[in-house]
Amino acid sequence: MADISLTPTEAFGHQSDSRWSGLVPIGRQFLRALPLAALVLGVAVILNFALPRLAPGDPIDFLVPAEQANAISAEQREQLAGSYGLNGSEWEQFTRYLGNLVQGDLGISTRHGRPVTSLLAERLPWTLLLVGTSVLLSTLIGAALGFRSAWRRGTRSDVRTLTGVMVADSFPPFFVALLLMLLFSVQLKLLPVFGALPGTEAQGLAFAFEVARRAVLPIAALTLAGLGSAYLVARSSAVSELGEDYVTMAAAKGLDPSGVRRHARRNALVPVWTVAMLNVGALFGGAAPVETVFSYPGLGRLIYESVLSRDYPVLQGCFLLIALGVIAANLVAELVYPFLDPRVRRPGKVGG
Amino acid sequence: MNTMQPASKRRRRAGGIAALALSATVVAGVSPGAAAQSSGSPPASKVTVAIKASENNLTPFTLTLLGLPVSHDLTNLVYDTLFWSQVKDEPEPWLAQSADPSPDRKQWTVKLRPGVTWHDGQPLTADDVAFTFQKMKSTTGGRYSHHVWEYPVFESAEVLDPLTVRINFRDAAPTFKILPGGDLPIVPKHIWEKIDDASKATDILPVGTGPYKMASFVPDQIYRLEANAAYFKGKPKVDAIDLPIVRDQSAAFAALQTGQIDSVDRAVPPELFDQMSNQPGIKVVQSTRMESVHLHFNNRKGALADTRVRNAITEGIDLNAIVQTVLLGHARPGRDTWVHPDSAWADPQGGHVFDAAKANQALDDAGYRRGEDGVRRTAEGNRLEFGLSVAANEPQHQRSAQLIAQQVESIGVKINVESIDAATLRQRRGTGNYDSFITNLESHAHADPDALYFFFHSPAPGAPAGSFGGYSNPQFDQLVEQARATIDNTDRKRLLVDAQRIYAADAPALVLYYPNGDYAYRTAAYNGWIADTGHGILTKRSFIRGYETAAEGTPASSAGADDGPPWAAIGVVLGLSVVGAGALAGRSRRREAFEAEEA
Repeated sequence: MADISLTPTEAFGHQSDSRWSGLVPIGRQFLRALPLAALVLGVAVILNFALPRLAPGDPIDFLVPAEQANAISAEQREQLAGSYGLNGSEWEQFTRYLGNLVQGDLGISTRHGRPVTSLLAERLPWTLLLVGTSVLLSTLIGAALGFRSAWRRGTRSDVRTLTGVMVADSFPPFFVALLLMLLFSVQLKLLPVFGALPGTEAQGLAFAFEVARRAVLPIAALTLAGLGSAYLVARSSAVSELGEDYVTMAAAKGLDPSGVRRHARRNALVPVWTVAMLNVGALFGGAAPVETVFSYPGLGRLIYESVLSRDYPVLQGCFLLIALGVIAANLVAELVYPFLDPRVRRPGKVGG
Repeated sequence: MNTMQPASKRRRRAGGIAALALSATVVAGVSPGAAAQSSGSPPASKVTVAIKASENNLTPFTLTLLGLPVSHDLTNLVYDTLFWSQVKDEPEPWLAQSADPSPDRKQWTVKLRPGVTWHDGQPLTADDVAFTFQKMKSTTGGRYSHHVWEYPVFESAEVLDPLTVRINFRDAAPTFKILPGGDLPIVPKHIWEKIDDASKATDILPVGTGPYKMASFVPDQIYRLEANAAYFKGKPKVDAIDLPIVRDQSAAFAALQTGQIDSVDRAVPPELFDQMSNQPGIKVVQSTRMESVHLHFNNRKGALADTRVRNAITEGIDLNAIVQTVLLGHARPGRDTWVHPDSAWADPQGGHVFDAAKANQALDDAGYRRGEDGVRRTAEGNRLEFGLSVAANEPQHQRSAQLIAQQVESIGVKINVESIDAATLRQRRGTGNYDSFITNLESHAHADPDALYFFFHSPAPGAPAGSFGGYSNPQFDQLVEQARATIDNTDRKRLLVDAQRIYAADAPALVLYYPNGDYAYRTAAYNGWIADTGHGILTKRSFIRGYETAAEGTPASSAGADDGPPWAAIGVVLGLSVVGAGALAGRSRRREAFEAEEA
């Protein structure tokens, strides 16, 4: 896993090492993926701009109380919209948005009256804490359970784990969040019900402990939400590896079962890795209801409340950030495949 | 990478812990009060109150970014008004010592209380008051400012001496002490004159004259207020108030139950009422905010433009059934006369009579014959079928709408309930693209003497049906216009009562219920909460000496609802899953042991 941080240029120094011999084509493959990523990003920017505007209602409806809707003149409306850069035709707004975007200006939130960049910088760490930890946990737990099921495929223990994971996976995350809260906070009084920051001004280690305590339940709810896909992919890919000739061969050689499984597991990890990276994107969205239930100040809750208030600038900023995150996760996935599966970096196969 | 064996062991251990935890829940679920903490500790100098949502940095200019703020409670702790509060027809002088009108009521001379200081130590002067009115006048939109630029229309302010200011209005403003006097927060000139765009000043700490000053806030997470020791009515009784934002209603009341917080700044939902009232250490008081939940018709669309149809529909709605079914009795049924029964301007004879037979008769007489499907038809053959839009985030509105649809079926009217998101509903109201909708309003819509004018005076010519139904009746218009300019309180009330009766006869809208406003708090943390009518319990009067007996909270009555707490039901569900999971785990373990033996 430490290999992830290695960039192709760093790796050139190790060319004599046979392990790194395939890195030049990997670098090329990565560079070839970049234009596609840029294209995806471009489409995402257009959609981010268009989608919030397709929903009925607009931010000015939210800024002007319903009781004043008839009292406010069209000029006043336009002036109010202008103070957020939301006046003029859609095309004017879009070109203005693009112009500001290249300068790193994401506009001002219509609900919070603050620059979107500062809002995002404030919320992102909390979501990264929740989503990062839960993707890691759900992948580890899901893969462990999945492989275990695969080795025992068809037995009742496999069927039970499969059923159990599927049932857990089919609960909506906010419902799981409420159940967890009910159990661990209300009945057992072990963990706090809401928030990310402690109520008192704790310092240092005590502060870290309090923050961790408040993250436990949201992370648990999100881990359960991501468990199903990791488990299913791990199980099915391990099952198909077990059918491969090399496994039969290894078993025929007299390798003990745990040795055979070690070989199969390494090859079965590639799809699990892909799903983990996909989960990063899915959990950003899935975090919204969980963050709302636990009043957690993350990106998901910001999106939820911005949808309610039709806060276009914030929605654009959040979706842009998520698009960047998903694209980055995909690029990282591309980059790491060769280390997980040497077949990918064999020159003959790269183009295919 | 883990090998299979330890992972499976871990899983089993985790399963064991979960099973234990679940059985503990089941036991606790049977007796929710069992784990309650002992009360009787000395009064704490800090209380923690959960609030619903972010209110930015609480200044009157940034709070209004929310359009309608979630509540004014926090802003009213930090800022003061000239009078308090706007729900009384004769409000108490607050920052003002007196306010004397000219005979035509267009000029008001306000004398300020001497010795009041801002949170930063600067003295409050007449300049601040004049500046507040001028600044509000130049601010577009917003909850407070429209009582300066729209009604009454502010013209100018002259500072006569450091503590006296004369405020000039375009028209007579007989109720100045109520609006804007009891409503408009006074802001410091020395802070705001330096700020160009007040609505974007969201990163400063608010400076007011109120009993509490903001010590710090973490956006969207928590506000920390501390007592203003120099408050002109004496140092507040509680030294610090922490106000964390708890978005989810059930989370907020769960936190109250566990003692993580001391009160919740939203009314106890009816289904939790008995559980909260019965829990040791928690007290529930009734303190209405004078809110209402109401049904609006589009008075300009199709058959709904016919007064007889609207009247028949309102007569066919059983408001008591809604109060009993949806609110479990924790509300007063609505009145045909709109105004909240506790308001000074309410028609004492207001009420609502449910009479489906009479409604049927009226529709028969009006020529709306029933079709084969039981739904009545207009003369043109169109069905009496209407949409009813409700916000998806308001479960009580949704349930009320469903009941209404059921009830009016018997009078041959078909109502299709449509649950849409709040922003879409706002947009439909703005464009007049609806048949009917349900929404709610705060005390502002009932206690203000000009509320009837505001909500039901004919919209400007050419305006869309309007966000409140587009009702138009010249007779009504004349009465509410007259009331605005009437100096004498008794005369004004007579005019407003007459207007309410015309409104009741025309039925442009119907209040479904006035929620009781039950607020819960932990007595051990602070026991001095009072019911300040129109404001709930999180109000400055709860923390100032001298109001303890003036407005004693009426203990909320139990409505005798037989619905148990939801925890019990969830406990049963969890219990069943424990049994199931336990059985499965046991069998699985046996099976694994069997497999291990075989291998």
